[in-house]
Amino acid sequence: MAVDESALLNGYLVVGAMLFGLGLVGFLSRRNMILMFLAAEMMLQGVSLSLTAWGRYHNDFGGQMLVLFIIAVAACEAAIALAMILMLFQQGGSLDIAVWDELREANVPAYVDHGIPEELPAQPPAWPKLTPAGTAPEIPREQTDYRPHV
Amino acid sequence: MFDVPALAILIPALPLAATLATAALGRHVLRQRSHVPVITALGLAFLASTALLVQVYREAGPGQDPGKSTRQEIPYERIVTLWTWASVPGAYESAPKDRFKTSEVPETSEVLGPAGSSADYEGRDLRVAVTLRADPLSAVMLVTVTLVSLVVAIYSVGYMHGDPGYWRFFTYIGLFVFSMTMLVSVSNFALLYVFWEGVGLCSYLLIGFWFQKPEAAAAGKKAFLVNRVGDFGFALAVFLIWIAYGTLDFHDTMTGSVVTSRGVLGQAAASDAARVAGGAVGTAICLLLLLGACGKSAQLPLHVWLPDAMEGPTPVSALIHAATMVTAGVYLVARCAPLFAASPDALHAVAAVGGLTALVAAVIAITQNDLKRILAYSTISQLGYMFLALGTGTALGVVAAMFHLVTHAFFKGLLFLGAGSVMHAMGGVVDIRRLGGLRRRLPVTCWTYLLGSLALAGVIPMAGFWSKDAILAAVNAPSPSAAASAFYHCLFWVAMATAGLTAFYTFRAFFLVFTGPERIPPEAGGHARESSLWMTLPLVFLALASIDVGMHLQWTGSLREFLARAPSIVSLGGIPHAAEAEGDWTLAGVSTAVVLLGIALAWLVYRGAPASQRWLVPLMEATGLYRLSSNKFYFDQAYRGLVVRPLERLARTAASFDHWLIDGLVDLIGTAPRGMGALLRPLQGGLVQFYAVAMVVGLVVLLGALLIF
Repeated sequence: MAVDESALLNGYLVVGAMLFGLGLVGFLSRRNMILMFLAAEMMLQGVSLSLTAWGRYHNDFGGQMLVLFIIAVAACEAAIALAMILMLFQQGGSLDIAVWDELREANVPAYVDHGIPEELPAQPPAWPKLTPAGTAPEIPREQTDYRPHV
Repeated sequence: MFDVPALAILIPALPLAATLATAALGRHVLRQRSHVPVITALGLAFLASTALLVQVYREAGPGQDPGKSTRQEIPYERIVTLWTWASVPGAYESAPKDRFKTSEVPETSEVLGPAGSSADYEGRDLRVAVTLRADPLSAVMLVTVTLVSLVVAIYSVGYMHGDPGYWRFFTYIGLFVFSMTMLVSVSNFALLYVFWEGVGLCSYLLIGFWFQKPEAAAAGKKAFLVNRVGDFGFALAVFLIWIAYGTLDFHDTMTGSVVTSRGVLGQAAASDAARVAGGAVGTAICLLLLLGACGKSAQLPLHVWLPDAMEGPTPVSALIHAATMVTAGVYLVARCAPLFAASPDALHAVAAVGGLTALVAAVIAITQNDLKRILAYSTISQLGYMFLALGTGTALGVVAAMFHLVTHAFFKGLLFLGAGSVMHAMGGVVDIRRLGGLRRRLPVTCWTYLLGSLALAGVIPMAGFWSKDAILAAVNAPSPSAAASAFYHCLFWVAMATAGLTAFYTFRAFFLVFTGPERIPPEAGGHARESSLWMTLPLVFLALASIDVGMHLQWTGSLREFLARAPSIVSLGGIPHAAEAEGDWTLAGVSTAVVLLGIALAWLVYRGAPASQRWLVPLMEATGLYRLSSNKFYFDQAYRGLVVRPLERLARTAASFDHWLIDGLVDLIGTAPRGMGALLRPLQGGLVQFYAVAMVVGLVVLLGALLIF
């Protein structure tokens, strides 16, 4: 049975784009260096996936070859990046990327992390206290399952 | 021993070699012996000049044609061409005939100059060859220059002893003598201009020799700038000569014995007076040459630099600013005498400038108190005499000017060196009001100075008497037209009055400094005594020369007959018999009486009863003459108001334009990148997420652009 090649490609590309987008959002929003690294890896995987899909679509192994390269490079990168993160953590005692800002211009003030304002301690919901009045409405029998005006 | 060409080359070459040797070795090797190469070279150059003079005299001098009754001399010149310095083939374009045509001058064929048609000269090459010449005029100049230089150099050994710039001084002196000997022996106007500037440069360097002293530096600058005005005129004259004559050479170019191209002042030109450019062009050439000569020889409108030039060392004042360099203008006019003779207007201008300068400078000299400055004004005045003689335009006048040039070189050199000796002993004080009665302390200086003063005043039988009388006689000689006669007659009386004034101011200085009660300024310290032999021997030598030169040259008449063979003077028509042999004794009597009157007046006022001062000074003050004289006729003030101030204002405007506009633009270009950097710098905040956002935004913008366009 013939496969609908372009539909297949579309699916893969959408998944690849989602992976890339998620990685990007993660990279931009996270400050933990390990998580940023993981997000970057996720972007790489998104690209790799779309490359494989294009390779399949064009019946060309160039895409897959490129992916193999990406995997190899990503492995090296992971080794180096994790080693560096380890060193940075040992020196700075923190995984926060914002701690390392020494490459900024000399007269630009350092970024000051004001943090997110602390959440107020959780309080029990205060329900309104109403004095009971009157009698309970009488609901017709046939309307116990279905009430049209509610 | 040597023939003329070899000698002509040797004379400038020796000082040049000495200059190079002193410049190379003086600072570290020769030090206080720096005078050795220069004095040796100057001595040899003097011997060579004498040999040259003898040789030229033998070939050209009198006695070659004894039986001749007509005094039409045969011009004599010898040319040595060393190499061609510049050559522009086919440079000459003959001027269109009507270019110089003026309504007053109908004979345009002579206006253009070259005899025959100017088409002969069409497409001629402009060749500037390094050519040396030997003729009576240059031979006389060479001997004078080298002899005075030698004497002054010997004197400088004593005077400059111990100066830190000793080697520099002798280097400059050598360079000056080289330039001056080249100036008088080159044979075309282009090279004459080069060495004209060369001596000007040496003058500048030597006036500013003590350049740490602000007055000396300013005086050097002034001399240089004032000379520029004259040189400008000279340069224009050279251009005009090229246009009018199609050549810049003095001499004729010979092929075998045939004249292939004629020079401006050569032998062929000397025998053909009609060839000289007359009319408007000729007058313009002469007036421009006169402007150049006025600058170099400190004549009336441009004389202001010479008194200030006395800031230089005294030997320099003696050598350059009295004896030799300032006579370059006289030499130039004498050399170009045929050109001047062709335009009477220019001649009258020369005579008027000379006469006026002589009188004005003498009047100024009366009230000056600086010994050297008195001598400076006296130099200006005597140079004015020479110009006056040149302005007669006769062979008699030119020869008289050259005669006075030679004698003046000796006695003015002597006076300056004497003044230097006084300065040396008195710790640099030259104010004659603070000196007095030095004849006991400085006997040699006193007696030699007296002889120099007598010579300058023109007392018989000193050198100045003969040459001054020759000038007076030349000016008094009858002129062809009545108007010219009256003009020269006026100038004659001006010259006569100047003679009296000269005697007066010369002896005023002499009486104040050397006679009367002894006054020695405290600056003299313990060394108020006669200078060393290095300094006194030149004084004695020059004093003897001041006595002998005039008499000798006058009585033998050799200088006159010798100079009359110079090509420039031959065409002036020779010297009449009557004027030469015995001279005019009535004239001599009158001038001697005037001179003695001047000396007597000086004696009365400054040595005799002081009461006599009471009537002389008020008399001068009453007529306003005293103020005029002591303020030097307000020349400096006039120049300050008319030239210096406006130029300063212009310069200041230009400087502020430069500072605010040009520099502002350049600074703007410099500050623009800085501003841009300051604008973008906050982006580099060190926050990784921000960079990532920037990259994403950039990517989005690019992709958006890709999609839209």
